[in-house]
Amino acid sequence: MNEGALGRIASLVRHDLRLQLRDPAPLIVRTLMPLLLMGFMQPLFRTALRADRVEGATGAEQAVPGMAVMFTFFLVNLVGFGVFREHGWRTWDRLRASLARPGEIVAGRVVVPLGMAMLQLTVVFVLGGLLYDLRMSGSWPALVAVGAALALCVVLFGMALVSLCRTISQLAVFANLAALLFAGLGGALTPLSSLPSWASPLAPVVPSYWAMRGFNSVVLDGGGLAAVALPVVVLLGFSAAFATLTMVFFRFEHRKVSWS
Amino acid sequence: MTDTEPRTGPGPDTASDGGVPALALRGVTKRYDAVTALSDVDLDIAPGEIVGLLGHNGAGKTTLMSIVAGLLHPDAGSVRVLGVDPVSDPHGARARLGLAPQELGVYPPLTVRHNLRFFAELAGLRGRAVDRRIEEIAEPLGLTKLLGRQVAQLSGGEQRRVHTGMALMHQPKLLLLDEPTAGVDVQTRERLLELVRAMAAGGTAICYSTHYLPEVEALDGSVAILNAGRMVARGTLKELVRQHGDSAVELTFSGSAPDIVMPWPAVADGQTLRVTVDQPHLAAPRVLEALGGSVGELVNLRIVQPSLESVFLQVTGRYYDAAVEEETHE
Repeated sequence: MNEGALGRIASLVRHDLRLQLRDPAPLIVRTLMPLLLMGFMQPLFRTALRADRVEGATGAEQAVPGMAVMFTFFLVNLVGFGVFREHGWRTWDRLRASLARPGEIVAGRVVVPLGMAMLQLTVVFVLGGLLYDLRMSGSWPALVAVGAALALCVVLFGMALVSLCRTISQLAVFANLAALLFAGLGGALTPLSSLPSWASPLAPVVPSYWAMRGFNSVVLDGGGLAAVALPVVVLLGFSAAFATLTMVFFRFEHRKVSWS
Repeated sequence: MTDTEPRTGPGPDTASDGGVPALALRGVTKRYDAVTALSDVDLDIAPGEIVGLLGHNGAGKTTLMSIVAGLLHPDAGSVRVLGVDPVSDPHGARARLGLAPQELGVYPPLTVRHNLRFFAELAGLRGRAVDRRIEEIAEPLGLTKLLGRQVAQLSGGEQRRVHTGMALMHQPKLLLLDEPTAGVDVQTRERLLELVRAMAAGGTAICYSTHYLPEVEALDGSVAILNAGRMVARGTLKELVRQHGDSAVELTFSGSAPDIVMPWPAVADGQTLRVTVDQPHLAAPRVLEALGGSVGELVNLRIVQPSLESVFLQVTGRYYDAAVEEETHE
């Protein structure tokens, strides 16, 4: 990648960041909501974890990562809106006619949501941990590794969804549905051990399962980088699959229908 | 030269130039399923030349510009932007051309400065060079005092100026302006026309699509007329007026135009009867005499001198009404 390409990607990232900062409300809400919901879920999770013989569980061990994973998947909307609003503002064709190459435009659209996802995860873990007494016995680098793999997976899932959806309404419906379905199947709403029998065999097919497995390894089992290697690799595998879907189905010349 | 064989360039100046044309289209054809949007279109634009691209809605103007900009691929034919093929080398072609599309495309939440800055940075400008370029573009477009304002708060005409400015940030050698004055105020129109003249004087080739024939006359450029996807006329304004610009007496009646035998060719179109004559101001009294009893239904008489309007009518067979074109615009 030459200097010109890096410079253009940096311009696209700065531009996307300016647009995000013009309207920070969605990010703030997506960060505060999980903190609020943890308060409601904590007693339930405390009971469930103690029933699973987790000594001295406060409930935050499940509530904090669970809500963090679920609300990270709501960021898929952010990825999608970044593309659809360009169509709504009629700037997509201007970008296509500019000096930015297609790959640079996609890269520029991925970086800011990735940063937002990492920021959201960090705030939710730090504030959630402080507010609800999260006692983590594993290593922080392992937690960061799982978080980074999850963030990448969510952003690339968003790009894949953008490739497949023609209207922003479709994107919003599928993004929200996926966030809830993944949360339910993946063990973000209930401890993995408490999943219903019909859901347990399906759980590994959703990325949130592997994110929760990785977070649980660190938070509940005191695991380090080696313990989260499998979940991280699987999340990166999901990311690669979503990136492939994007490359196969994303067409720069396709018209998308935004809100209007 | 006939209507069916329009030449590609405006005249001998371009032919003797010997340099690479800013734009060269050869046999460009584009189909959307069963609809042929462009059919075997040839067009040359020399550096520093202004070409008024005219045609009714659906004639293929926007398709032509989109193909040149690399947004669409032609089904047949070749396109060269200063010798570069936008299909095989889109990046190279885009470095040489600027496109201000027909539909307003700006970032409403950002300031004027940030809208312009974004495209300057994409063009490779950095640091002070960006600020200098923004000032250079803002001044002639009357945007200097608006640079700190959010685009969403600007009037339609001001937004149109920002939209045009974004296409100029990389100092393109070929500028494609697709109906740049649609729906703008008089001040914006004048500023844009002045900018186009100044850029052409500086060597930029400009392809200017518009619904307003007087703008093309005011720019004193050459003209290319598309009709149903075909290039039906191409030349300088003077050449086209000399070749196709009939003078006429145009009569408008309260009802349908009467069927009257005249010593000159006459064409009825609804309530209008157009009588083609060489010296309409001298022929008008004889035309009125020839009306006989129908003169009572006459509501208007207009002397039509050879103009772009009469050229357009002759080569397309239809009147060009800017208001109607804007109303029926998609």
